[in-house]
Amino acid sequence: MSIVSVRGLHKRFGDLEVLKGVDLDIEQGEVVVIIGPSGSGKSTLLRCLNFLEYPDEGEVWLRGRQVDPAADDLDKVREHIGMVFQHFNLFPHMNVLHNVTVAPVNVKGMERKDANAIARDLLDKVGLADKEKEFPSRLSGGQKQRVAIARALAMDPDIMMFDEATSALDPELVGEVLGVIQDLAEGGMTMVLVTHEMGFAREVADRVIMMDDGYIIEEAAPAELFEHPAEERTQRFLSQVF
Amino acid sequence: MPALIEIGTEYAAPFAEATLVTLRLTAVSLVLAVVIGLVIALFKLSRNRVLNLIANAYIGVIRGLPLIVQLMFLYFGIVQIVRLSSFWAGSLALAVHAGAYVAEIFRGSIQSIDHGQTEAARSLGMSKAKTYRLIVLPQAFRRAIPPLGNQFIIGLKDSSLVAYLGVQELFGAALSAQAENFQPFETYLVAGMYYLVLVLIFSVLVNRLERGLSKGKREAAPA
Ligand SMILES: Nc1ncnc2c1ncn2[C@@H]1O[C@H](COP(=O)(O)OP(=O)(O)OP(=O)(O)O)[C@@H](O)[C@H]1O
Ligand SMILES: [Mg+2]
Repeated sequence: MSIVSVRGLHKRFGDLEVLKGVDLDIEQGEVVVIIGPSGSGKSTLLRCLNFLEYPDEGEVWLRGRQVDPAADDLDKVREHIGMVFQHFNLFPHMNVLHNVTVAPVNVKGMERKDANAIARDLLDKVGLADKEKEFPSRLSGGQKQRVAIARALAMDPDIMMFDEATSALDPELVGEVLGVIQDLAEGGMTMVLVTHEMGFAREVADRVIMMDDGYIIEEAAPAELFEHPAEERTQRFLSQVF
Repeated sequence: MPALIEIGTEYAAPFAEATLVTLRLTAVSLVLAVVIGLVIALFKLSRNRVLNLIANAYIGVIRGLPLIVQLMFLYFGIVQIVRLSSFWAGSLALAVHAGAYVAEIFRGSIQSIDHGQTEAARSLGMSKAKTYRLIVLPQAFRRAIPPLGNQFIIGLKDSSLVAYLGVQELFGAALSAQAENFQPFETYLVAGMYYLVLVLIFSVLVNRLERGLSKGKREAAPA
């Protein structure tokens, strides 16, 4: 059973059709990397998976159940899908520990001390055990993003989505965040990553998806797609980014 | 000058008492105004057209009419429905007035919170209500403090108008005093100094709070 399945997904913003019929399956433990030029619909696709945007047409299935945005409790759906944003979006009025515990406590109703224990464990995993009392503004970009990853993991999601998680970082801070993502991949976490880090994609991905103009135009194992892209547009895109 | 000192000392007791009334009037009306303002701001930001309409009508009317007209209108309206002391009727009327301005302050500060905050909260499974309560409003309140402080000073001065509803607050005390001593210039000057001192004390307090918060803000800058 796939963790996520998408069938015939369409999304329009006014007259602009951003997704023009996307089909996608993501299996348990799989790491899928989405690449493609700016404006091709990568972020929109991720945001349709957790219904931050509502698809106009098509089906989204999560763990074998079709989500009906009109009838289902989308808050419940989102609990199971972790999301990491380009600009971190940490909660600036809360310290690091509180950032990580606020959802488990207030959404899952977890006891604070249990949530704290989980949060400390996760902060340790992302290498920030000593920062739990800091406020976000005192952290570097790389540290912020690692807190954001811990915050998403604290909800124990079925899948983690990363939308250009390292694009806003200074080059010397990219590595520490990619390292955490790599650890997650090795731990068997199911993940979708939108990234421009092709070297990293190649290393960590089980499958690479190329999007262009609202379509998935090609997908393959990383070695295959990077060495022998079938589509001319993929070749052109890769020659621009490499 | 001697006349000033004479009036200052002669009316020290009633003016001190009236100052307390002014402070209570201001405090009560502003607490109510914050509640009204928050509700109206949420109405205005709601997707519900009816709530938008209510908020816009309320803010439009309040901003479009002179305060003294509103006070008279609300006072005579309120006392027709419920029997209230002029103090409470005046407080309510002032609150209804200031509430419109407070609503605009809250609306602005809520809208100034980066949308990424809401998205992050929703992506963690928080409902709209929890997102507001835990993430958006705490940040918006902090940002609202400087303009709210300003509005509170305006509210303190506006409270003088309820003298015309018969409340013996500071300006009301001055009205009575000058009718008794036939020295309106000196009497109003003394009352003016009382207001000035109150406003100065209040400004210092607001500034302190702001500075305290901007220290905290280094901790709470957008992340
Ligand atoms: N909320 C929105 N309202 C209107 N248009 C939008 C909205 N979100 C995205 N778009 C448009 O949809 C198109 C696809 O956007 P999307 O963010 O999905 O692209 P992307 O592949 O993630 O690009 P990038 O690499 O620049 O992040 C763009 O043309 C964008 O301007
Ligand atoms: Mg994007």
